[in-house]
Amino acid sequence: MSSMVDVDLLADMKKFGAVDVSACFSCGNCTAICPLADNDATFPRRVIRLAQVGLKDDLLASKELWTCYHCGLCSDSCPTDADPGEFMATARRYAIASYDRTRLARVLFTSTLGGTIIAIAVAAFFATFMYGMREPVEGSTLALFEFVPYPVIHWLGIAVMGLMAVAGLAGVATMVVRISRHEGVTFRSLLGGKAQLGRAWKAAWSSVAVESLGQRRYREDCKDDAPVEPWYRRRWFIHAMTIWGFLGLLAATTINYALDIVGVKATGTPVPIWYPTRLLGTVAGLMLMYGVTWFMINRATKYNRAAMTSKPSDWLLLILLFLTGLTGFVIEVALYVPDAPTWGYWFFLLHVAVAMELMLLLPFTKFAHAIYRPVALFFYSLAGERTRTPELV
Amino acid sequence: MTGPVDVQIGKPPEEGDGQRRIGVFICHCGGNISDYVDVAAVRDALKDEPGVVVAETTMFACSDGTQHDMIDQIREQGLDGLVVASCSPKLHQITFRGVSKRADLNPYAYTQVNIREQDSWAHGDDPDGATQKAINLVRAGIGRTRNSEPLVPLVVETTPATMVVGAGIAGMRAAIGLADTGLQVYLVEREPEVGGWAGRFGAMFPNDRSGREQIAALTEQVSRRSSITVLTGAQLVGKSGSFGNYEAVVEVAGDPPETIRATVGSIIIATGFDSYEPENGEFGYGIDGVLTLPEFKELVDAAGGGTLVHLGRPVRSIAYVYCVGSRQPGGNEYCSKFCCAATAHASILVSALDPQIRQFHLNRGVRTYGKYELMYTQARENGAVYMTYPDDTPPSVEQGRDGRLAVTTTDTLTGGREVTIPADLVVLVTGMVPRANTGLTDLLKLPVGDDGFYNEIHPKLRPVETVVDGVMVAGSCQGPKTATESVASGMAAVAQSAAILKKGVAELDPLVATVHVDDCTGCGECLTTCPYDAISTRDAGGRTVAEVSAAVCKGCGGCVPLCPTAALDLLGYTDAQMTAMIDSLVEVPVS
Repeated sequence: MSSMVDVDLLADMKKFGAVDVSACFSCGNCTAICPLADNDATFPRRVIRLAQVGLKDDLLASKELWTCYHCGLCSDSCPTDADPGEFMATARRYAIASYDRTRLARVLFTSTLGGTIIAIAVAAFFATFMYGMREPVEGSTLALFEFVPYPVIHWLGIAVMGLMAVAGLAGVATMVVRISRHEGVTFRSLLGGKAQLGRAWKAAWSSVAVESLGQRRYREDCKDDAPVEPWYRRRWFIHAMTIWGFLGLLAATTINYALDIVGVKATGTPVPIWYPTRLLGTVAGLMLMYGVTWFMINRATKYNRAAMTSKPSDWLLLILLFLTGLTGFVIEVALYVPDAPTWGYWFFLLHVAVAMELMLLLPFTKFAHAIYRPVALFFYSLAGERTRTPELV
Repeated sequence: MTGPVDVQIGKPPEEGDGQRRIGVFICHCGGNISDYVDVAAVRDALKDEPGVVVAETTMFACSDGTQHDMIDQIREQGLDGLVVASCSPKLHQITFRGVSKRADLNPYAYTQVNIREQDSWAHGDDPDGATQKAINLVRAGIGRTRNSEPLVPLVVETTPATMVVGAGIAGMRAAIGLADTGLQVYLVEREPEVGGWAGRFGAMFPNDRSGREQIAALTEQVSRRSSITVLTGAQLVGKSGSFGNYEAVVEVAGDPPETIRATVGSIIIATGFDSYEPENGEFGYGIDGVLTLPEFKELVDAAGGGTLVHLGRPVRSIAYVYCVGSRQPGGNEYCSKFCCAATAHASILVSALDPQIRQFHLNRGVRTYGKYELMYTQARENGAVYMTYPDDTPPSVEQGRDGRLAVTTTDTLTGGREVTIPADLVVLVTGMVPRANTGLTDLLKLPVGDDGFYNEIHPKLRPVETVVDGVMVAGSCQGPKTATESVASGMAAVAQSAAILKKGVAELDPLVATVHVDDCTGCGECLTTCPYDAISTRDAGGRTVAEVSAAVCKGCGGCVPLCPTAALDLLGYTDAQMTAMIDSLVEVPVS
């Protein structure tokens, strides 16, 4: 089968990053030094080649794109300064925008002005909407869920999550179809029998638990960032803290919601600091802030290869995460300030608006890697399992 | 100008006791010879041959010390003949002729016997046989030297004029160079205009100067030199005479055509190349938008205004297919070598015109040698994609229903994937082929290689001379060259022409045919055989006899066996010498 060349691909991709892959002459130094390029994997070289030639379909069906953690060894060893690491990041941005059919992601990634306007407008919309729904509050303690009535937050949250899920699933479906076709993965080869199911389960476990949550290869293979860092500044650790912090907050919120439903604790009820969900939220919030803060410092100081080039889309995710965390803690503080300070309410409004935006824009921003990477890692792991069990379909 | 030139044959040495005084040196060549041939046994077997005065073995005959020793022996022993049994004459014949000269011995009294390539190396499995063969070969060599006559080179006066055939960039530059050395120049061009290929082009690599402008500059320089006669619409149609004094006949187109005769000492052939013309359908040739490299270059040269337009449509993508007509098994097997660089250069020009145009270079390995590598790098950095296809899987070109071209190729670097490139233009990177010049080739008897280009004598040491004395080749008529290289070889031909013509006289090898007038019956048999038209007839006291022009004769010997009365002899290889050699090699002497 002959693949059609898209002559506009490279020009289009250049809008997503300032990399000059024309300099690449496919020497393969990047592949040789990449700690993740194992067996017959030929990335990043092959992925760059796909972009050079214009093989768009192959590029968007590339699972290898998402295995990379941008350690930067390839860029350091590139004899032509083609910056393969930054190219991979650019290609991931391009992929996120391509899997999204609304073109919202494309604007957020390629237009600084448009992206900024959208980011501010979405937050402003949520804030204005909730402010419009506010109820008068009195008393000596902050009555946050009376200021913005609980049902408003509740239903708005559900709507946001629903929209995010639809957009995210649509993107994931596009990606899964592309990769499956490219890899020759069929329903039968996934679910056709006990052995196939076992294989799929192994791949899923490796992708979600071992790699995404456990950060195994990031931790063990991509450890050669130069200069060698103390453990608390290691990129994998910062990344893991961010993930775990975010998931912790998500868990705390979900559990609170569940507790409300089963009638143990109504949302908004003041609880002491040691109360499990509040404790979880606080610890997770601190972890998130730790990770995000380091990421921001790295980018601001161009601390390492990955932080050398920062696109507005990189900052957008960090800022949204940072604001969500920071405003959360400001609210925590406000809760202890006597006489229910008015600014507490404002920060609450900001906190909810930014958190809503963060979730709504997830499939359209860099945050989308949180869903695409595990899917790609699933296929990567599955490919390994399939080579080990060639007798199965 | 000189009249007919006669071979000057020296007198045979003083007879004395009727014996020659010959020195024989048998070389070990380290062990190359002596490991298989018992050189001492060879010496012992031959030391008492008639005429042999000195018989020695030596470790390396060609070494400086041995050469001095030989000179001393020649002088002290009053030798009048020298035989060295060592390697091929190709290697050291000139060396030992030089030794003879330095010892005041006639160099043609020297015989080189090859007991290495033709003996020790060939018969390593049979040392005894090899030794016996060496004895026979050396004895034959002694026989040849014993019957040698001293010969001296022919000296001819030369005409200080050169004809340059072909007024392309190499021919024009050569003409200027020749004029500047003080030679008269005839610059003959078949086309109505001078300039050749370069005159058709805009910016050329490596310095981006326009071909047209460079030709204009050369034309101006040519016109300022009164010693250059430019003949356009003109062809060399006749050549007679010999090296140093050729009579050239040039026919100049017109109504009626004009015939011009010129006497020149040398001729430089700079007739250039033809661009390979693809077969109809070869890589889609014949479809609109499929161009050869020169056609494409002219399109790019004519483009302006920030776009490249073909047939009214803006060009957005170009696919170049390399090695069309070059490196083709069964076809032109050579590499045309200029085309990779020329295409990289064209690609850079296109990028300068419109950086948005995507360019795909489908190649079989890029050969932008030397400094041209920088153009390759620049073309790549401008965004050109180089895709190498396997030799056995050439790209195919088709036209889609929308009229756009589609080139399907296999890209090695994408893991051997077959990919289809939509293209507005397909450029067939066509190489150089020899120009159809049958008339000229036959007229000058120019040696043509398997590839159809003219052959020089030696690619390194005699790069512009041909086996026809005084006729030189320059530029791409000799094989694919860049303009830079063509001009360089044109200048080499200038230097070589000046080297032979500026002295005013030329020495020719005396190993030519000669006529024993007394034996010649004037039958005319020999006249028909000479490939160089060196034999004519003359009146010798009322008899018609054959006469050999020593300056024209190449010493091929073709005429000698044809003479029914054995009146012809090839000097250096006379019947007496050959008979003596054969006698030495066979058991029963030929009577």
